[in-house]
Amino acid sequence: MISPQQAGVLIMLIGIYGLMAKREPIKLVLSINVVSLGLVLFFIGLAYSPEKDVPIMPTDPVDPLPATLMLTTLVVDVAITSLALAIILRMRRDGS
Amino acid sequence: MIPLMVAFPLLFAFVIVILDTLRAKRTLIKAAFLLGVVLPAWVFLTERGREIVGGWNRAAGIEVGISEINAPFIAGELILFTVVALYSIPYFDFRNKKTPKSLALLLLLHAGLMGAFIAGDFFNFYIYMEIASVSAFALVAFSDEKGSKRAAFKYLILSLLASYLFVFAIGIIYMETGYLNVELVAENALPSRELQAALGIAFASLLLKAGVFPLHGWLPDAHSIAPTPVSAVLSGAVVKAPAYGMILLFSALPPRETFREAVMGLAVASVFFGIAGALLQKDAKRLLAYHTVSQMGYVLLGTASMNFVGAAYYAMAHSLFKGGLFLSVGSLGKKSRKLGEFGYRNAPLMAFSVLMLSLAIGGVSPFIGSYAKGIISSGLGGTWKWAVTAGTVGTLVSFTKLNYHLSKGETGDLAPIEKLSALVLALATLCAGLYLGAEPKLSDASYIFAAVLVFFALKFSGVLEREVRGEAKDVGKDVNVLVAVFVTFMLGVLLIQWP
Repeated sequence: MISPQQAGVLIMLIGIYGLMAKREPIKLVLSINVVSLGLVLFFIGLAYSPEKDVPIMPTDPVDPLPATLMLTTLVVDVAITSLALAIILRMRRDGS
Repeated sequence: MIPLMVAFPLLFAFVIVILDTLRAKRTLIKAAFLLGVVLPAWVFLTERGREIVGGWNRAAGIEVGISEINAPFIAGELILFTVVALYSIPYFDFRNKKTPKSLALLLLLHAGLMGAFIAGDFFNFYIYMEIASVSAFALVAFSDEKGSKRAAFKYLILSLLASYLFVFAIGIIYMETGYLNVELVAENALPSRELQAALGIAFASLLLKAGVFPLHGWLPDAHSIAPTPVSAVLSGAVVKAPAYGMILLFSALPPRETFREAVMGLAVASVFFGIAGALLQKDAKRLLAYHTVSQMGYVLLGTASMNFVGAAYYAMAHSLFKGGLFLSVGSLGKKSRKLGEFGYRNAPLMAFSVLMLSLAIGGVSPFIGSYAKGIISSGLGGTWKWAVTAGTVGTLVSFTKLNYHLSKGETGDLAPIEKLSALVLALATLCAGLYLGAEPKLSDASYIFAAVLVFFALKFSGVLEREVRGEAKDVGKDVNVLVAVFVTFMLGVLLIQWP
């Protein structure tokens, strides 16, 4: 079995392959999203420890920080994707 | 209350959007914009030291601070941004509905840069650098020029890829040390292969965002197509955020000798590649954009020789003169940016400012460029010093070319603020140099003389007339190539870091 971190890195590499091999702007945006998903999986994998407690009123808590960081990254991700799609629409309209 | 430096511009960016939705008077929007720009300067002048936001403990909290190393970054950004703000209100002039949005985006950019420069931990730095970059993508795409959307898209994809890899590296650092705070990482880092790899990945990502050769592919397009005030901020301040990130990175995880030597070689390559690229350009703003690649090489040279103060002062110097050059050349070349079709022949005040700024970027004393170059070369060994001197002559050759073409053409009407902004920045480079104690040197005159000779030699040999490859039509193909270069470069860095 591979660990979640390794799976995350693999998914990031698949996204980077997409960035190098695909020409359609939409596919490039999708590839970037794949990279970010791999990143999220990597971080979640860092803090994955099933035998530990939830981080509310803890005795032996898991590390909550990676998950929190990824929440922030996801927010950045959503905003960027919408911006990229808007730019693609404008690119079409300009005929460039 | 250092976090207020970020909070004020953020607050007023939202206020502008609300005022715009409520169809408020233009003066209100302008006032909100100027308040958001100026208030951080007030905080900067009154506050010093380090603090942790909200008073949490250091391991969990967000540490911010103003120190000897980041103060020049902040000072340069604040001076440049204040001038750009005054320039951009008449520039955008409420011609269309985009104006309030552009102003709000400029404030977000300001907030992002302030946040990145005061950050004391890696993740916080990433978030604010990202706020600045995202505003920059949108501002580039706002330009009416043809090809602006393509440039913005290219910039967006590459910059984002670099950001994700940077966060990935932060993840590895967190996994190995258990901290995100720069100082705590520095105290707790044990040398390991994982940390070396993380250093390499994070460093390569920041190099892409700083636009250093060979990862500069997105920079000339984005910086030259953007509206003039935005170009000034992009070249003057936005590329400094990753440069500051490199300083944070190197102070947390000191690089090994081989890696540092390699980076210094890369920095020198960037200096000369930027100059060569600039010499071949026909478009004035593209010429200046290539000089950003070259000047970032100096900042990198300072960082790689662990001379962080030198790098910081060079970054500040570059903010002032490159911002001034973009504003003045952009104002002169409103109709055409092609060299030889416009100039300052009928605008003596502009001629004076552009000449001063050209001398400043060339590193002629007593301007601030020479002071900053002095600190950088004081931290370098024998042969590297020669690279700095050769870079000075090269930069002066390229600016002789710019001034030669500018002195032949004429320009249309200039608004008072356009003349004033260039003059203020030109005087700022001079005053800052005098204040910091740069002294006139006789050797500088010989550099200028050599540069003029080389320029005319090149001109008569016909090298400067060569046509360079135009931009490719297909944005997807461009991104493919640039990502491939980036990945190859990163593999190279990892190979250096492997043993």
